[in-house]
Amino acid sequence: MPDQANDFMKDYQAFAQQSWDAWMRYLQQQQPGQPNPFGMGMMGMGAAAMPQEDLLTRSLASLKAYGNWLQQAATGAALGQQTHPWQQPAAMQSFLSAFTQPFQQTVAGIDSASAFGMEHQWQSWLQAMQQAGMAAGMPTSQVATFGITREFQLDQQALQAAMQEYTQISARYQALLQKVNAQGISKLQEMLGQPGKQVESLKAMYDLWVDAMEDAYAEMALSQEYRDVFGALVNAQMQVRKLQQQHTEQMCRELGIPTRSEVNSLGKRVQQLRRELKERGQVEATTDTSLVDTLHAEIATLKRELAASKAAKVHPIERPAKGGNSKTPSQRTKATRSAAGKRK
Amino acid sequence: MQNPFHIDPQQAFNEIAVFQRKLAAGLQNLRGLGEQDYANTPREAVYREDKLTVWHMKGNHKPTARVPVLVVYALVNTVWMTDLQEDRSLVRNLLEQGEDVYLIDWGYPDGADRWLTLDDYLNGYLDRAVDAVRQHHDLDAINLLGICQGGTFSLCYTAMHPEKVKNLVTMVTPVDFRTPDNMLSHWVQSMDVDLFVDTLGNIPAELMNWVYLMLKPLRLNQQKYVSLVDILDNPQELKNFLRMERWIFDSPDQAGEAFREFIKEFFQQNKLIQGDLQIGKQPVDLGMVTQPVLNIYATQDHLVPPDASRALQRHVGTTDYTEVAFKGGHIGIYVSGRAQREVAPAIHQWLRSRS
Repeated sequence: MPDQANDFMKDYQAFAQQSWDAWMRYLQQQQPGQPNPFGMGMMGMGAAAMPQEDLLTRSLASLKAYGNWLQQAATGAALGQQTHPWQQPAAMQSFLSAFTQPFQQTVAGIDSASAFGMEHQWQSWLQAMQQAGMAAGMPTSQVATFGITREFQLDQQALQAAMQEYTQISARYQALLQKVNAQGISKLQEMLGQPGKQVESLKAMYDLWVDAMEDAYAEMALSQEYRDVFGALVNAQMQVRKLQQQHTEQMCRELGIPTRSEVNSLGKRVQQLRRELKERGQVEATTDTSLVDTLHAEIATLKRELAASKAAKVHPIERPAKGGNSKTPSQRTKATRSAAGKRK
Repeated sequence: MQNPFHIDPQQAFNEIAVFQRKLAAGLQNLRGLGEQDYANTPREAVYREDKLTVWHMKGNHKPTARVPVLVVYALVNTVWMTDLQEDRSLVRNLLEQGEDVYLIDWGYPDGADRWLTLDDYLNGYLDRAVDAVRQHHDLDAINLLGICQGGTFSLCYTAMHPEKVKNLVTMVTPVDFRTPDNMLSHWVQSMDVDLFVDTLGNIPAELMNWVYLMLKPLRLNQQKYVSLVDILDNPQELKNFLRMERWIFDSPDQAGEAFREFIKEFFQQNKLIQGDLQIGKQPVDLGMVTQPVLNIYATQDHLVPPDASRALQRHVGTTDYTEVAFKGGHIGIYVSGRAQREVAPAIHQWLRSRS
């Protein structure tokens, strides 16, 4: 039996390697600019800046993780046939714990894709500092600053402190993900322990594992603890970036290169001007409209008067009644003139 | 404890072998497929301003509806989810029903749009887009169909410009942003959004995508691609898959100021239902929305939980309120087979009875 299990593992590993190599060969043959069907983003970092091969490798992390999962599940299945661990809860726990790693690979993989951007940036930053001969003199946050480089030292201390804080919070975040691992395994164990539960294939087992892990993750992600740590992580990362930007701007100013703050300032003014222009246009349009409305009203009045005047003209001349008090012809003429005068 | 795992090593080996075979055979199908097109329904631009375009969608028949409907999409992702492909298109289905459909395509903000506020979007772009459609039809008021954040925008717009909206349809629209099951909302509560926007400027699309993927990390980053192997030998399904992938990652950046306001005022302070929301100089009171409202939500929506949408009924001013529960998710409500059969006819029937 042990030989059978070993043979199986050898065969499986050969398959897994073959599969992985095939994917890599396929994707490496892609022409630059062709769409990557597994396009995955990174947290605020331009993917274009990364080497193509590295991007492809990370894009395929999901399938590779699944390959690892299959390997562990198959190993567990092979061993399960030998030792009947289901009769022993501790042994079952040991079997299930084999599934921890793939979850970490996926979740931490997404996170490290984003965190990679940060660390990559930091490394470039530190290298640049070293090249500029500044790293050797970089003060710790506890050291008092003085001299002509005092302001620069203060900036560096602030940046160091921010990076330190980010690292600490990132560790707290990773610890939460580790908790999800444990809780997910526990949920999977519960699912497998349900009366009559049968798992007939590796894929069925995989789907069950995904369900368990996602349930555990959702519970964690909606907890107060996760909310606090996630918020702190985002804030800490932004603090580091902000300080880096400030430092870069300082260097740009010294070199006479336009800075982002200046561009922002210009953009803000342009947008404000556009708003004012649009508002002015609306006011003018409203004024125009009210002028047109006034003219319309005046025309309507004139039309009514004209109609009344025409009616008066075609009105049959009434013969003065005997002893009546009708207007004289001269009086009618005056009335007509008066109406005509109004039209002016 | 019984052994629930009934797979012997040979069976496991066979399963892996099948997986491997599918993978190898499918690679050739993946090669040369290239970029998949979407948005194939004929259309004509009727209004453009900066990066915004209002499209008039053209069906095979003349519309029978007298009042056109303007689709207001979210600023995240693109409006082409409503017209992904010929047999999965809310737009085509609405046109087939006889509706006259217009779409707002917000475009892709860049540094020049960094300072656009919600006031610029709603009382500026959206208002002028509505005016353009009204003028095109010589109508005082048109129908609005708001989707997700675009639904929230449509509600705000209707409250501020009620005379220009005849009927309002909202789809998977968040109204109460603080329901306990709203993961996105939960995550941003402790975020310093001022520091965030001041640092990043416009919010990169990659970051938005990352956040959405983290809502269900295993399903969206691994299980989905594992399942892809099962369709590698089916070119048509593969194209559908790639088209959807294109849409998912074809995301615009978010204009910084508008993002700041949306997170603060809506997600963190939930002002839309608290009643003290103001866009620009105008107060937004949902009680002012007295037009007929059709509110469609998805029962399995992981982005906008049903309770977040259903809250509308308690806050809207209209006496003509209809609610439709769609059995599916946030995306399935546009692209699933069920959606093709149910959603457009429901919207059309509702609009027709109020024309």
